[in-house]
Amino acid sequence: MAEIGLRGLTKRFGEVTAVSGLTLEAASGELVALLGPSGCGKTTTLRMVAGFETPTAGRITLGDRDVTGEAPEHRNCGMVFQHYALFPHLTVAQNVAFGLQMRRVPRADSERRVAAILDKVGLGGLGRRLPRELSGGQQQRTALARALVINPSVLLLDEPLANLDAKLREEMRFYIRSLQREFGITTLYVTHDQAEALVLADRVAVLMDGVLRQFDAPEEIYHRPRSAAVAAFIGLTNLLPGTVVSRAGEAMVVDTPAGRVRGRGVPDLAPGARAMLSIRPEHIDLGGEAADGANRLRGVVVERTFLGAITDVRVQVGDGLVLRVQGRATAPQRGGERVTVSFPDDAAWAVPADA
Amino acid sequence: MAGAARHLLLAPAAVLLLGFFVLPYLNMLVISVMTPSPTAAYLHVFTLRNYAAIVGDAFTWGVIWHTIQIGVLTTAIALAVSYPLAYHLARAPRRRKGLLMALVISPLLVGVLIRTYGWMILLQDTGLINQARAALGLRPLALMYNDLGVLIGLVHVFIPFMVLAITGPIQGIDPELELAARSLGAGFWRTFWRVTFPLSMPGVVAGTILVFVLTISSYVIPSLLGGFKVLTVPILVIRTITELFNWPGGSAFAILFFVITIAVLWAYLRALGRAAHPGS
Amino acid sequence: MVRSAERRWLALAAVLLYLFLLAPVAIVVLAALNAGAYLRFPPDGLSDRWFVTFVHNRTLMRSFRYSVELAAIATVAATVIGTMTSLWLVRFSGRFRTAMRLLMIAPIAVPGILTGIALLIYFYAIGWGKAGGLPQLVVGHTLICIPYVVLIVSAVLVRFDRSLEEAARNLGADPFTTFRRVTLPLIKGAVIAGAIFAFVTSYDEFNISLLLSGVGTVPLPIELFDYLRFSFDPTLAVAGTISIAMAVAVVLITERLIGLEALYLG
Repeated sequence: MAEIGLRGLTKRFGEVTAVSGLTLEAASGELVALLGPSGCGKTTTLRMVAGFETPTAGRITLGDRDVTGEAPEHRNCGMVFQHYALFPHLTVAQNVAFGLQMRRVPRADSERRVAAILDKVGLGGLGRRLPRELSGGQQQRTALARALVINPSVLLLDEPLANLDAKLREEMRFYIRSLQREFGITTLYVTHDQAEALVLADRVAVLMDGVLRQFDAPEEIYHRPRSAAVAAFIGLTNLLPGTVVSRAGEAMVVDTPAGRVRGRGVPDLAPGARAMLSIRPEHIDLGGEAADGANRLRGVVVERTFLGAITDVRVQVGDGLVLRVQGRATAPQRGGERVTVSFPDDAAWAVPADA
Repeated sequence: MAGAARHLLLAPAAVLLLGFFVLPYLNMLVISVMTPSPTAAYLHVFTLRNYAAIVGDAFTWGVIWHTIQIGVLTTAIALAVSYPLAYHLARAPRRRKGLLMALVISPLLVGVLIRTYGWMILLQDTGLINQARAALGLRPLALMYNDLGVLIGLVHVFIPFMVLAITGPIQGIDPELELAARSLGAGFWRTFWRVTFPLSMPGVVAGTILVFVLTISSYVIPSLLGGFKVLTVPILVIRTITELFNWPGGSAFAILFFVITIAVLWAYLRALGRAAHPGS
Repeated sequence: MVRSAERRWLALAAVLLYLFLLAPVAIVVLAALNAGAYLRFPPDGLSDRWFVTFVHNRTLMRSFRYSVELAAIATVAATVIGTMTSLWLVRFSGRFRTAMRLLMIAPIAVPGILTGIALLIYFYAIGWGKAGGLPQLVVGHTLICIPYVVLIVSAVLVRFDRSLEEAARNLGADPFTTFRRVTLPLIKGAVIAGAIFAFVTSYDEFNISLLLSGVGTVPLPIELFDYLRFSFDPTLAVAGTISIAMAVAVVLITERLIGLEALYLG
């Protein structure tokens, strides 16, 4: 299986820069998620790797081949399009066989491989159907089969689950992942759904406005984001502004309008620097006993929302500063009630204030 | 597709249009200032007399004016008649739309000649309409070999064009807008004039221009339904070219008429623009 | 239309107008089937004698065959050229799209007699046959048929799902194979509809044929015109009925293939 290498990849459409200086490598067999809000350049990047857009600058390598200038039909990538792009005038079997026909695979061989892959994805016996006669999930799997049957060196997926309902999406997530692992194909997976990215990927590349903000394993992205933007995009978080007072290794002390906070942070924050403290709502405790040495802030309950398994409480801890606290339902807090919120040091993560 | 190769797709059309459309028109422009001759098609001698002859001839101006009159009348009547049809078609339920569209378009595909023939059967002095009148004890009407017959024929032939032009825009008008106007107290006609018609203007403009140009360029209908009594510019031009063999003269006349048409359309659009933005 | 009374008035107006629209066409068919030489009311009865007369009229049949031949050639040329042009217009035209589109539509936007005259004089100037003839007619007819093909095919191409072509490229098909195996089968309906519109346009075309016809056999509309000027034989109605049957067939086929909404000019 080939590695995917992107070096300094840039794409401009007239005045608009869709992708800027993107550099990353996907190791052989790895599933890399390209994650970001709409318009961040992730689909453009995928299309450049597939060959449907020509980069304005930069290089793309598949394995040891520089494919930057090559036509799409010579790159041997398997691609699954967002709306599947199944040929409406061909049957399922003919769709899946298309790539094999282009490679001049003999008829008998082709039929065998098509039947095998259709069985594998659970569509055995549906070869004669037309795409419009299939359900969304079945169309999805047909698209997957069509991409995989040609033994591509890399797999490209463009928001493959975006058009499925929530329950099917969850099932298909794991299915795609296990299929990818089994075939061991290097995969680029574009999505705007961060839960999906965190679940599926070996590493996640977070793109915003065409720029790569962070490229790390999911846990790193979640617990140790490199910037406020990434922190805010991934999961829910509270952002407390402050100034770095002192630091020792990863440990930091930050002065905030709500009080002094002990936490951890990115390496490039020096004392005196303006920072944002990212504190995940699930790590904050409301009232009750806090462990010794934990941070304590006093505040006033602003709003309480019952969400079923958890309760969401907003606490005002300073001028215009509201913390969201999420946890198991505790004794009801009324608006206006004074409370103490607490959280351990490793729950407060400091990033530069204007990143 | 490779960069330069893709433009090869345009090559046949480009060759055909440049070589057999643009060039012939340019050539016609050149011929219009050549001298007519009884012995050859024309002499390669520059002259502006062809144009002068037309401009100075009251009879010709009469024909031009008459043609434009017919054009304006036809367009106005066609618009009035087509609008209800178009509205009905635009608001028809999906299933019926196909059938109605077919009814509107089929006459188009039958060809001008055949439809004119049908009208001749109807409008003649001994035609069906006058037979009916006679049966009822009424005097026969002169419905053919005059302006009236030509008008009827022209309106009939060009209704489908008008309908095709305005149905699309009417369909694009959200029916809720009309409902809103009614709920605010506007009656049927007020809603029509203040809401529906203005919003359909792009189609109306396109349709009226299309029908006007088609009408004044029509040859078959004025010839057949007008007998030799109704003279329009196309008839005169064809006569000049094919019977008098005066190619330069005919070309000059055709070009002059083309220019006049553009001028009329320009004035029309200006007047419309001023009506839409008074005071500018 | 809010109240049902209004809806009824509109429907009534529409019905009357449709009758007006179709009356001459129906009359022609009746005249062709009429037993007598003149359409009378009450009618004389049905007969196929005029169909027989038509088929035995050598001049008319020759013209009929000539028109069909001419239309066939013009249709093939216009369909091929028009489809290629549509592809270019929808995919590759860039800044020139509006200008080229106007140029492509121009042959039917300018009066047919002007084009006919311009071509007549031009053919003489470039030495293309003294009198008119089939090549000149083919050129003239192709010119006015192309716009219909372009209008219809590009209307469908514009809505075409590009990702299908990308999928084919991704699976290893080069641009030509992609067009052949994916694009063409899916725009087939539009191409056929454009072709049959082109055929009927050429078959019915009068103005250009009037100016470019040679001596000898002429297209059917010209032949009929000469007849009509001086006589009133219902044999002509038979020719008319054939045209009408063709028109109905075209409309029905187009509606099945791509729906007629593609023809909205607005």
